[in-house]
Amino acid sequence: MIITEIYIKNFGMLSERRLRFSDGVQVLYGENESGKSTLHAFIRAMLFGMERGRGKAAAKDAFTRYEPWENPGSYAGVLWFRCGGKRFRLERNFDRYTKRASLVCEDDGEELSVEHGDLEMLLGGMSASLYDSTVSVGQLAAAPGQELSSALENYAANFCETGGGDIDVNGALKSLREKQKETEKALHKAAGARDEMTRKMLQECRYLEQDIADLSAEYKEKKEQLAALRGGRQGAAGELEERKRYEDGKYTENGEETGKREGQRNKPAAGVIAGGLAAVFAGICGSVLGWLLSNDLQQAAAGGLVFAVSVILFLAGAGILAAGVYIRTKVGRNRAEEADKEEFRADRDSGETERIRWEMERIRAEWKEKEIRCSNLREQSEETEPGDTEKNLARRCRALKRAQEQVRLAAEALGRQTAGRLNKKASDIFAELTEGRYQSLEIGEKLQISAWDGTRRIPADRLSRGTLEQIWFSVRMASSEILQDEPMPVILDDTFALYDEKRLQSVLKWLSRQKRQVIILTCSKREEEILRQFRKY
Amino acid sequence: MKFIHIADVHLGAQPDAGPAYTEKRPEELWAAFEHVVGVCRTERTDLLLIAGDLFHRQPLLRELKEVNYLFSTLSHTQVVLIAGNHDYIKKDSYYRTFRWCENVHTLFGKGLECVEFDELQTAVYGLSYHSREIREPLYNAAAPEGRQKYEILLAHGGDDRHIPIDWENLERAGFSYVALGHIHKPRSVRGDRMVYAGALEPIDCNDAGSHGYVGGEITEKGIRTRRVSCASREYINLEIQVDEDDTSGSVKERIRDHIREYGEENIYKITLKGGRSSEIFFHTERMKDWGNVLEIVDETHPAYDFDRMLRENEGNLIGAYIAGFAGCTRDSEEYQALCEGVEALLENRGRV
Repeated sequence: MIITEIYIKNFGMLSERRLRFSDGVQVLYGENESGKSTLHAFIRAMLFGMERGRGKAAAKDAFTRYEPWENPGSYAGVLWFRCGGKRFRLERNFDRYTKRASLVCEDDGEELSVEHGDLEMLLGGMSASLYDSTVSVGQLAAAPGQELSSALENYAANFCETGGGDIDVNGALKSLREKQKETEKALHKAAGARDEMTRKMLQECRYLEQDIADLSAEYKEKKEQLAALRGGRQGAAGELEERKRYEDGKYTENGEETGKREGQRNKPAAGVIAGGLAAVFAGICGSVLGWLLSNDLQQAAAGGLVFAVSVILFLAGAGILAAGVYIRTKVGRNRAEEADKEEFRADRDSGETERIRWEMERIRAEWKEKEIRCSNLREQSEETEPGDTEKNLARRCRALKRAQEQVRLAAEALGRQTAGRLNKKASDIFAELTEGRYQSLEIGEKLQISAWDGTRRIPADRLSRGTLEQIWFSVRMASSEILQDEPMPVILDDTFALYDEKRLQSVLKWLSRQKRQVIILTCSKREEEILRQFRKY
Repeated sequence: MKFIHIADVHLGAQPDAGPAYTEKRPEELWAAFEHVVGVCRTERTDLLLIAGDLFHRQPLLRELKEVNYLFSTLSHTQVVLIAGNHDYIKKDSYYRTFRWCENVHTLFGKGLECVEFDELQTAVYGLSYHSREIREPLYNAAAPEGRQKYEILLAHGGDDRHIPIDWENLERAGFSYVALGHIHKPRSVRGDRMVYAGALEPIDCNDAGSHGYVGGEITEKGIRTRRVSCASREYINLEIQVDEDDTSGSVKERIRDHIREYGEENIYKITLKGGRSSEIFFHTERMKDWGNVLEIVDETHPAYDFDRMLRENEGNLIGAYIAGFAGCTRDSEEYQALCEGVEALLENRGRV
């Protein structure tokens, strides 16, 4: 591609300017502030358009910098070029309201579409950033605080790793890393919500377990109460002893002892009754005998005596019998009263027992219900599984990690490959520029740069600024040869300010031999003079 | 002899049913069960067969009392019940001690048991789970013993961990009907004769489709069953295909249309698929504020034409990166990594 002519309507400090270009090397001399860099920016803007920055960035971007102060409608220009044997006219209007671009083939009048990539095709697929990193050459510059040598190495590394330098590898890795971080955050949040649910369940489990412990304590207490009611309380006297005996009798000894005790208690009454009965019987017998004897006249007196004794005996016996019966009924009545009393007490006690038992049953039921709920909850808490959203987030995290690894791997492989291809070409250029002072330069495995002077390999950080600039230039030129099928014009903007006389001659000699258009923008007259001398010979 | 066959009622479960229904969903499971008991009552069904997992976990006493009360309202229907893998008979399960009302018959043994109904000329066979898993094919040996004219098997399981079933073998055994439970999707294994009733109400988003119970009748002529849908809601898995013109707004609109079409009472899980424009990011959380949506899963990928990109980027990092993923399939994690990486590289192109 050859730029044949440009027309600047209004662009920064330049307006209504027309410039023609020829093939080969040409020098545009201008003092500081004469608009060389503006011209440089204009060519770039014509070839690749101008994207407006957004927000704060807009204040400092190229669009704002070169926007005319007056007549913004005339923020425009035309660029004529030759490419593949045909002539084209590219017109652009940069103004924000009437922004447009048109591309016409002047040979056949065919209208092409910039929007649909026709221009990009003519440029051989060169992008703005590739243009910046190869054929558009300024001066090697370092970021503040950065060594020039590392700026050079970074440039070469990124160039090699991306196979053309138009991608910011570290930027890409950074944005992947940031996305991964964000996704991890979302994942933690989702997992946290699930954990929270599990936590709540386990919390409830703990409450239930506390309840269970309380219930168990209560149960134990009731059990003790019951045991106490049944006689667990030892050592108390009187009534308690009595009750114990009663309880024992009722529950443990089948009432045998009670029966025995009852028999003993009735003994005196039984004796009295038996005596009474014997006396009455004897009295009756005596009376009958007396009566029989009195019927016999001879023994009438004896019979009368026996009769009288018998009657007395009968009466006494009857008396004793009555007393015995009285005692027996009295004792019986006492016994019945006592039994009544005891029964009342037992009734009272067994009511209490029943109540406690009923309580214990209630506690037991509640306890078991809570135990089942607790184990159900525990089961449930173990079963909570991540949902699809969570699984997807985890998957995305893995994918992002994988992407970073793969970017690194691809960049490394590509870096080695491109470096290999670059080394030969860049060495040739560099050797020529230094007139054999250095025989080659090498971009190594880790994309570090060194120069070989025939005996020593000198790392970049030991090289002078001028030499670093020459390496930079060599790599750029080698790159553009490697990457471009269609040779693009090389635009050099004050590139050689730090070159000494000899090396400037070498570089211009090398450039003149290239089959491409070279536009040198400079504020020094050295280039012009050297070239004039070349032409003389 | 008329019967109703239900399974997998999962009383006591707390299904995730989306923002609108999760809270009252447990009640709806009870309501569904009540509804079936009501049907038995009004239709004077002879036999209610419950093929396991009546409860989601170990039943509480009060829950058993509720269920028993409902059964007690059935003056005509006999109920036969087995325990499944969810409500398996644990050591201290209330199932062991609970006193059911007279018309309820439990087959809670570990081995096959039988309950006979002379007046129905029917015998029902079955066994219960005493552990969460049973890997032995316990039904292989099951066969009707000729006790009654009609013989029914009540069975739960059918997968590897829950009594695997040899269907051929079971068919040959010759039961009049095999009432199956455990698989939540209603399905007939062998015509009218071996049927999974499916969950009475769907329990989670895997239980898509309609749900209900099986009504059947066994007569001299044979058996006839029919599926009766009665579930109050369905879980619906919606797949929405996006294209490069879609935005969060347009997708949200389409979700809304779909939910209107399929019913607002249903519970939705939505998966976004297809190729979106690479600049678009779908805010799935913001799409959820309408309808009853469990979750929205974004499985879309940026619509890159990787073949074309590979050609155009030969020799540069993007090309090398894409080449590193050669042969990966669309749904793979690899593909996702490919898309993410390309997106990041493109974002950082021309920034040097």
